[in-house]
Amino acid sequence: MIVTYNWLKEFVDFDLSAEELSHQLTMAGLEVDFMEKLGADLDSVIVAQLDSVEAHPEADRLTLCQVNTGSDVIPVVCGATNHKAGDLIALAQVGSLLPGDFKIKKSKIRGEVSRGMLCSEKELGLAEEAEGIMILDAGLELGTPVFDALGLKDVRYEIGLTPNRADCLSVAGVAREVAAIVGKTMQMPSADALNENGTAIGADTSVTIDDADGCPRYMARLIKGVKIGPSPEWLVQRLESIGMRSINNVVDVTNYVMMELGHPLHAFDFNQLRGQRIEVKCAVEGTEFVTLDDQTRYLKSSDVVICDGEGPVALAGIMGGGNSEVQDTTTDILLESAYFNPILVRRTSKRLGIHSESSHRFERGADVDIVPVALDRAMSLIQQLAGGDVAAGVIDAYPQQLGKRQVQITAARTNALLGLDLSLERIEKLLNSIELPTEKSEFDGQQGLLVTIPMSRHDLEREVDLIEEVARLNGYDNIPVTMPVSRVVRRLKDDRQSFTRALRDAIVAQGFSEIVNYSFISPLAWDKIALPADDSRRTTVKVLNPLTEEQSIMRTSLLPAMLETVSRNLAYRSQDLSLFELRPIFTVVDGECQPVETLRLCAAMTGRKEREGWAQNDAKVDFYDLKGAVESICEQLNLPVLRAEVDGEQPYLHPGKSCRLYHGKVIVGTLGELHPQVQDNYDIDQPVYVVDLDVAALLSTQNGVKTFQPISRFPDGYRDSAFLFDEEVSAQQLFDVVSKVKVKNLDDVILFDMYSGKGVPEGKKSLAVRVRYRSIEKTLTDDEINTMHAKIVKSLTKNLGAELR
Amino acid sequence: MKEKLDAMLVAANEAMAAAVDEAALQDIRVSYLGKKGQLTSIMKGMGGLSAEERPIVGAVANRVKDQVFETFEARLKKLKAELMTSRLEHEKIDVTLPGRRNDSGTKHPVTLVTEELIDIFSALGFCVAEGPEVEQDFYNFEALNIPKDHPARDMQDTFYINDEVVLRTHTSPVQIRSMLKQPPPLRIIAPGTVYRRDSDITHSPMFHQIEGFMVDENITFGDLKGVLTTFIHECFGKKVGVRFRPSFFPFTEPSAEVDIQCVICGGKGCRVCGNSGWLEILGSGMIDPEVFKSVEYDSDCYSGFAFGMGLERIAMLKYGVNDLRLFFENDVRFLRQF
Repeated sequence: MIVTYNWLKEFVDFDLSAEELSHQLTMAGLEVDFMEKLGADLDSVIVAQLDSVEAHPEADRLTLCQVNTGSDVIPVVCGATNHKAGDLIALAQVGSLLPGDFKIKKSKIRGEVSRGMLCSEKELGLAEEAEGIMILDAGLELGTPVFDALGLKDVRYEIGLTPNRADCLSVAGVAREVAAIVGKTMQMPSADALNENGTAIGADTSVTIDDADGCPRYMARLIKGVKIGPSPEWLVQRLESIGMRSINNVVDVTNYVMMELGHPLHAFDFNQLRGQRIEVKCAVEGTEFVTLDDQTRYLKSSDVVICDGEGPVALAGIMGGGNSEVQDTTTDILLESAYFNPILVRRTSKRLGIHSESSHRFERGADVDIVPVALDRAMSLIQQLAGGDVAAGVIDAYPQQLGKRQVQITAARTNALLGLDLSLERIEKLLNSIELPTEKSEFDGQQGLLVTIPMSRHDLEREVDLIEEVARLNGYDNIPVTMPVSRVVRRLKDDRQSFTRALRDAIVAQGFSEIVNYSFISPLAWDKIALPADDSRRTTVKVLNPLTEEQSIMRTSLLPAMLETVSRNLAYRSQDLSLFELRPIFTVVDGECQPVETLRLCAAMTGRKEREGWAQNDAKVDFYDLKGAVESICEQLNLPVLRAEVDGEQPYLHPGKSCRLYHGKVIVGTLGELHPQVQDNYDIDQPVYVVDLDVAALLSTQNGVKTFQPISRFPDGYRDSAFLFDEEVSAQQLFDVVSKVKVKNLDDVILFDMYSGKGVPEGKKSLAVRVRYRSIEKTLTDDEINTMHAKIVKSLTKNLGAELR
Repeated sequence: MKEKLDAMLVAANEAMAAAVDEAALQDIRVSYLGKKGQLTSIMKGMGGLSAEERPIVGAVANRVKDQVFETFEARLKKLKAELMTSRLEHEKIDVTLPGRRNDSGTKHPVTLVTEELIDIFSALGFCVAEGPEVEQDFYNFEALNIPKDHPARDMQDTFYINDEVVLRTHTSPVQIRSMLKQPPPLRIIAPGTVYRRDSDITHSPMFHQIEGFMVDENITFGDLKGVLTTFIHECFGKKVGVRFRPSFFPFTEPSAEVDIQCVICGGKGCRVCGNSGWLEILGSGMIDPEVFKSVEYDSDCYSGFAFGMGLERIAMLKYGVNDLRLFFENDVRFLRQF
């Protein structure tokens, strides 16, 4: 909603600066989004008089003027032709900055000095087009700024209205708030000039309402013999000051009154109304109707339409039809002022995608009581500006009068909710200041007020709504700042929340940076990561109205967005990456309206192991760096080591360099090198290692609190042994066998070398282990250690076919 | 003989002074004091001396022996010290070379802000609750007093899954879910991901909010001001100005927008605050009785307040980030700054 300072002043006499008004409106809940001082920068454009106008000696098309500023006479060269000696004009003095960053400088034009510019309305931003310079009315004082002299100085306020305040969708509505702020009463505009000099309206036309639910009230007036033409300057400028374009005198009046009083009106060319009458009804399903904007609309039976004797001429409260539009040739006008059902207007305008100033007001709730006021005000202005005879009388179809709500309010409840100590008298005074009539009364033994709600305040339905008005008018600043007195809430420990935070801390400690990607991705992602057609991850929740196809399905894997992120960063030449994302995926569940949202951890590594530098290793990360990171995280979180198993290949991973991670029989996730084909699909030209973990599964492995293990005070002893194994034997098998050997004092097993190639037979590999023995009770003898080690060697030989090298 | 000994002492001292390292010095020591050394052989020759001479020469020989040994020890100490000095000199490094770092990673700025807010509100006795991002219309709208066909629905452009399921447009449905689960008193914050169908330089179709609410007997608007002012002072500093001004949300009545004094210009007015000196950072209000009705709380007994704010906005103000899109582009040059 846009209002101006001067326009508000027509309704209420206030004495606030432009800035104060802006602040006060904001603090009253009418937030000023933007304030603009019109003409404020143009004070150096002044009223001046042309003492003489002569032809330029060196140019036929230019004139040389002597301009009297009231204190000086200066030469100005001017290219216009519509000026003569004695005219008052707008002089932009040297140094003025005109709209469009046009700076006026002293210059020499064809040998003649020019010390300013005579301005057109266009150059001052007062009109879109102009012919010649602006000639001012006689009698203005020389030297005064033109915008002051013409009364054009104004301040424009753009108010970001909240949807509940439909009553402020007008200058009058905002003025009512201003009146409350300054403690004055506002003055409504008058329609006294209306002269019913025509024949009785009933003789020429009639209105019937078939659908009183859709249209509770419909009023009309008729005027004959108007002359459609341009609007006077004051009206054009008023509309322009709030950003509306002038069309013609009649349409301008309907727009002006809508902005002034907040009530939308519609003018019909009376002679285009077939049967010369109005019927308000539900549309016939499937009717075609061409609206003012030349669009053909298909109507439904739920749409309320204004019809003439034969068919629709307007969509009630939304937009008129081309068939009855006021044209330059129009002479007789039927003016509509009606009240339409907010919900029905909203449904129709939403469905048809029409958002007009009119529908905006009706769907938020117009004021049924202002219907006659707006009608008379507009008709009076039309008669003033376009002439004509106003038919005697008015049609007011109002089959069932809408009742006014009455709402109670007590000081006790008001103060209890706000934390204030207001008297009932103070509350009454505040409510009365915005024209809410009150009556003292008693409810449940408490003193209170019975408030009669005006029909413009659809938002005031309950006591709490009135309490808000009291709070607002009394000022939020005047509510004391207190701390609540409340019972302590028992707080249940949430394992998942604290685990998630610890997990995030742990992976960050491993050098990974957190990314956040959109939850919706492209359906093409699955092909890019090579998921087979029947993969369950292809079953997704789809967004009905996505912004783009790339954001149209809820992801069932964090991987595609992770790979996009890796690819994008590599393209920016950030080549050493450790990234993770810890966010939910969305899995469709049959028979449920909502998907299951499960938290996943996806991490990726690529590039160097260590940051680039003079003393750093140039080696690149590999499978074991990522696996090691996962192992470290598990250790930090007191989780058991996850078992890597080569089963259940992921199509997007390298089949020889990937694994599943298990805890017991629970699959916790997958880890591996990205499949070279998938790597290509994302335009990535270096190996990428990814891990994808199910956070809930990870949490389920948590084995309680950490418990202390006693440490030995005695020295250790170790034995190194290298074995030849068949190539297929995994390190895991070796560890599993060792861990099953019953050796009391086994302290630690380290696999410290792995080798195949020269010196090792084909099909074999050499694994070297260091087994450390240590007792908690004594120093072990060599014999004791040898005996234990022999057991382990024997078991490896027996179970895995190991040959001691 | 005595002369011979004195001459030997002079020669030994000179030789030791000229020794360049420990080995040479040791050789000299042996050549005088060793079993076959010069002094030893002289002392062996003392048997041929007269009984009168023997003690005199013996005393001289012993003095010379002690002096040679003393000189040796002093020289050895000095050589060792020189050796240490030279070794240390040799081992000198350029201490200005960059250290070998083992960098930890970084949390996303939105995570950092979320954790900070959780910590602030936890200290005020609030617990964290969560809810689904794909949410039913009932929890996201209906129960929050936003019926279908209400203009308030236009305040939030919605992604739909179907007629009854949406991507939640705010974290407020967690209010409903929490209140349906337990009776008052309640003190809850709910951080989470939300979605609105809007994408431009200042809007992201996905972003993050934190919702907070408190319900008990006798909770007032003054308490709302108290808790939120405390939060703002914790988060932005004790000196920052705060103002509450009337606004509208379907699920609170009275409602308030909360502004803080512009953290960029300190309230003087700048581009970031649109010359107003104030920055809008959160929406709040007393929980609407209609909301209590939909969770079957008795609004005659209980009152409460609720608030919600955008986490990206808080992060932008705290860290001076000037472009919302950076939060979702995941450029490591951005991420590693936090």
